[in-house]
Amino acid sequence: MSVEPFNRLVKLAARAFYDDITMKGDNQPKTGRSDNRGMAVVILDALTRRQWVREEDLAKDLKLHSKQLRRTLRFFEEEKLVTRDHRRETAKGAKIFSAAVAATSDGQQTGKEGEEKQKMHTHSYCCLDYAQIYDVVRYRLHRMKKKLKDELEDRNTVQEYICPDCGRRYNAFDAMRLVSPNDEYFHCENCNAELVAESDKLAAEEMGDGDDNARRRKREKLRDMLQKMEVQLKPLMDQLARVKDLPVPEFGSLQAWEARANAAGRAANGDSGANDSSKSSQGQGYGGTPMPFLGETRVEVALSGVEVKEEDSKPDAASTSMKVLPPWMIKQGMNLTKEQRGEVKQEPKVDHNSTPSGLSDDKKSKVNDKEDEKDIQDAYIQAYYAAFIKRQQEQEAEKKKQQELENASNAPNDISSDRKVGMKSKRQEDERDDDVEWEEAPTTGTSETHKLNDLNVQADASGDDEDDIDWEEG
Amino acid sequence: MFFHIVLERNMQLHPRHFGPNLRDKLVAKLMKDVEGTCSGRHGFVVAITGVDNIGKGLIRDGTGFVTFPVKYQCVVFRPFKGEILEAVVTMVNKMGFFAEAGPVQIFVSNHLIPDDMEFQSGDMPNYTTSDGSVKIQKDSEVRLKIIGTRVDATEIFCIGTIKDDFLGVINDPGAAA
Ligand SMILES: [Zn+2]
Repeated sequence: MSVEPFNRLVKLAARAFYDDITMKGDNQPKTGRSDNRGMAVVILDALTRRQWVREEDLAKDLKLHSKQLRRTLRFFEEEKLVTRDHRRETAKGAKIFSAAVAATSDGQQTGKEGEEKQKMHTHSYCCLDYAQIYDVVRYRLHRMKKKLKDELEDRNTVQEYICPDCGRRYNAFDAMRLVSPNDEYFHCENCNAELVAESDKLAAEEMGDGDDNARRRKREKLRDMLQKMEVQLKPLMDQLARVKDLPVPEFGSLQAWEARANAAGRAANGDSGANDSSKSSQGQGYGGTPMPFLGETRVEVALSGVEVKEEDSKPDAASTSMKVLPPWMIKQGMNLTKEQRGEVKQEPKVDHNSTPSGLSDDKKSKVNDKEDEKDIQDAYIQAYYAAFIKRQQEQEAEKKKQQELENASNAPNDISSDRKVGMKSKRQEDERDDDVEWEEAPTTGTSETHKLNDLNVQADASGDDEDDIDWEEG
Repeated sequence: MFFHIVLERNMQLHPRHFGPNLRDKLVAKLMKDVEGTCSGRHGFVVAITGVDNIGKGLIRDGTGFVTFPVKYQCVVFRPFKGEILEAVVTMVNKMGFFAEAGPVQIFVSNHLIPDDMEFQSGDMPNYTTSDGSVKIQKDSEVRLKIIGTRVDATEIFCIGTIKDDFLGVINDPGAAA
């Protein structure tokens, strides 16, 4: 169960319906300063990041006057978005709640301990009621749409009737009196003519005196409004649809939540004193959407953060910069940057190597002994790979020639896979102790490359590298 | 909507009723006078459920009638705009149909009948859906919503609609027969 889609729903609803709501006192004049539009949205947003929260704490976090906050929350309670709970409690009771908050989120403990020892205070708590919000928003949209549609379709208007002869108007309330005993129609009291319904007449004539124009304008306006509503509230409706089949996050009543959160906190901490609120002091505030009873991972931030930071940043940097490919992975025709080929990195190293050796500074060489060794190794490897690649190229060229020859003579089905074969064989050679192999190769015959390639081609035909070796040894 | 309320009325009693059964006579006359009447303010008086208090009688000059102020409890029925009622159809014509919910007359004009119901004239005029599954005719029971009331001093008349969710025929005697 994820609270995120529901939070998004709350945020969308807040912006759709409560964006321009002002909360003002009964006797407060409406001035520029007291204009607090948008506050409702801020408060709802803040509530999406919390579960149960003491209203004083929330006010402090939002830097709002608690009276102002309470007024808004009362409004939200009436709007059925928020559940509230009030209870008289001593400082100890407040501490239990603080411990619960601490258990859920390493939350800041705002209340000071020690003071107000035995005094009873009424504290108010509030929490979003997601299940109800879902219903309320849906109902609200439904009512909006229905009202507009009803008006558009004249659903709730009282039908009017008009006498075509004398123009006298009647409405449906007169209907009882108008029914004639002779037939089933309404008749004019005045001239006994048959009455016609007003809308029928409108449809028939479509003349358009002032009254009709006004009606048409109103109709257009309604249709426009309905359309606008569809467009502007689409994100909200989409979110409703998305949330439809998701389980609703349920925090339960304040007491139940508190007990649960404390239990979860105790389990997570492994300590017995769940009411010990000292733990919370190291927290940095409310983090994300705490869901303690869902087994959220607790993140402990060490305050000697330098080391952690370095450790963190290193692999990060390594992963972001391009990796240097090992030389054996680099093939001809690969589109690589210099960094990837490792050329840039190796260049300065060689320089660094050459200067001290040129100076033959004992001290320096001693200090850099190990490093020098490594540099030499690097240089050797580089040289080796350079030679190796050259060899590869030579071989490739040779093989091509050979294959062309073979191609001309026979076995056209071998060609298709020749490239692969060549590479494979090279790697094989690479894996072997090459010196011996290479030395041996000339002894077997004068046209060493020729033969080797020949063997490889055959090995490919049989499709097995192992065979290749057997052949050679045999 | 029904209400149980206390009303007061000045009853005039003929001197011939004076005697040991004066109180009974007074209550009987009250019931006869009041039950079934309609006041624009309180709606229809359905039944008197009790007499709270009968005040001191005042002899009228000239006639000898005595006026008693009587306080009584009664059940009244008063329809409201937006209220859902169940009613019996009494008459169907091409302009719509009339129905009764107890003492209340309700007219449902044809533009407040669902668009898929067509008027069928004939011996038994009715409104029927195109597939014939729903039919409104005399004695059909319908659930309707009141969209307007006209309250006169002695009469209440209502306009209703069945063009909304869950409204319409709830029991069709024609189908059962
Ligand atoms: Zn007329």
